[in-house]
Amino acid sequence: MDSTERIQAASKFLLQAPPGEINDVLNDVRNIISDDDQLQEGVLPALREYNLAQFMTAEVPGHQHQSIVSSAARVPKTGEEGEEEEESDRFWDPRSRTSFRFDHLSLETSDPQPVEPDAESEPFRAALEQSSLTYLVAHFHDGVASVFPIEGSISRFIIQIVANKYNPSNYWSGRWRSEYIVDLDERQLQGKILVNVHYYEQGNVQLSTIHAIALALPPAITPSSASSSASKILALIEAEEGKYQNALNDAYAEMGEKTFKGLRRALPMTRSKLDWDKVLGYKLGAELTSNKGALGVA
Amino acid sequence: MTDLVDSMLDLMRRLPPTHVEENVSALVQMCPDYADDLLGSVDQPLKVLTDKATGKEYLACDYNRDGESHRSPWSNEYDPPLEDGTLPSPKLRKLEIAANEAFDTYREMYYEGGVSSVFLWDLDDGGFAGVVLLKKVLNPASPSEPSGSWDSIHVFEATERGRQAHYKLTSTIMLQMVDRASDAKDAKDEGKRDGEVSLSGSMTRQTEQDWPLQDQTSHISNTGRMVEEMEIKMRNLLQEVYFGKTRDIVFDLRSIDDLEKARRQRELQKELVGFIKR
Repeated sequence: MDSTERIQAASKFLLQAPPGEINDVLNDVRNIISDDDQLQEGVLPALREYNLAQFMTAEVPGHQHQSIVSSAARVPKTGEEGEEEEESDRFWDPRSRTSFRFDHLSLETSDPQPVEPDAESEPFRAALEQSSLTYLVAHFHDGVASVFPIEGSISRFIIQIVANKYNPSNYWSGRWRSEYIVDLDERQLQGKILVNVHYYEQGNVQLSTIHAIALALPPAITPSSASSSASKILALIEAEEGKYQNALNDAYAEMGEKTFKGLRRALPMTRSKLDWDKVLGYKLGAELTSNKGALGVA
Repeated sequence: MTDLVDSMLDLMRRLPPTHVEENVSALVQMCPDYADDLLGSVDQPLKVLTDKATGKEYLACDYNRDGESHRSPWSNEYDPPLEDGTLPSPKLRKLEIAANEAFDTYREMYYEGGVSSVFLWDLDDGGFAGVVLLKKVLNPASPSEPSGSWDSIHVFEATERGRQAHYKLTSTIMLQMVDRASDAKDAKDEGKRDGEVSLSGSMTRQTEQDWPLQDQTSHISNTGRMVEEMEIKMRNLLQEVYFGKTRDIVFDLRSIDDLEKARRQRELQKELVGFIKR
């Protein structure tokens, strides 16, 4: 492997890091690559991709709350001659109307600048934000929510929610991400919920779920009635997420009842452990084979 | 500086178990000098191969591999054939044949299907070591049914001490389950929902025990009892971690009940208690 391929392989590892363990993975990768200069430069794109996809949270400079760093949070281009600023690491928090630089390695923010939001879409966005924050405290223990306008549109918004729990001393971590695109013109709500859990005490067990939702917005939701529409939208989201959590419970039950039991029995049909002295005398003979049908019924 | 192998193992403990094979192979390419250390200490899903001589299925892992070939426990042949592939001594092979028969019975009793294989090898100090492998895959009857796989890898070392034998057992169980949810059930609802739940991983435990030794076949009943005991214990542990712990963490992230209401109720209760006391 040449050094470019090694950095590529390292980047792939970083992108797979479980919630709250990106630094642990980076430390391992650093030791494996053992070339800090090359690594630091080479893995920056992977760290950026990871942070944006995982809804990394950032302290908004000069404010007492956190906001989500994601591709929806990228500062809109200033429109000067289509200058490509795609890889810009400047993000904004619509709630405080502040933009900031974000360091993908240290996860620190700096250089706050005021941002003037789009006057036409701001009232509805602010209403969605208000309802989202109310929803957040009602259902998440440690959540952060951000609501972004979609550039060039006055009727489409992105609601993002992330909740993290990191407990390295007890070897577990978890992350809940949800994202909803509200489209007032198409009258649609499209969302996805992603949950990741890592449990690694003398092992490595991971839960990974994806759930997609597409719903029509009820007629009572209109651009002109921002406040009541926003609370109705969040009521829809609340119902969907609650339903999803119940469905997840059902999936657990189904996997426990069908899959887990179907893979290995707790005890043989005889309800007692094997008599190993007898087993040594047995050959898998006619007796057992003829019982196979009965054994299979479980 | 931390040992390189430690870093690789720590990495494998963190990355998704569903990608263990491609991640191990990437690490081997990155650090070819450490390939043997890595392949010897990271458990990967067992491969099912078919013995060409007997037509019986067996399991392939690092312990029955020599170069690119794997040895079948049924015919003792390597596939692809090897002229001078490592084989157990004739005495140990006799024990290996009996162990394969015994664990095949064990497999049928607990797994009601699947594949098992036992491989033994001589140790330099006169003792021997072995691995008991069990694998079962559940393929769903329809796409909405859950699928799953179970791989057990029990590696042991046996040391004879007169009429006693000392055993060191390291057991790893890899368990994967996938449930594809669809909600065709509530057709009244206009929305569309679909998704997937995947629970996967591995857990490892160790034990050391002494057992009486009457003759050579005692090794089979002794390791049999140890493996059985260990699998029962680990099955309970897996159940607890997979269905208990990971679920609790999800419900720790988000609560179905309204936390704000609960907070207000607690406040109200406090006030009432204060009021009554007055």
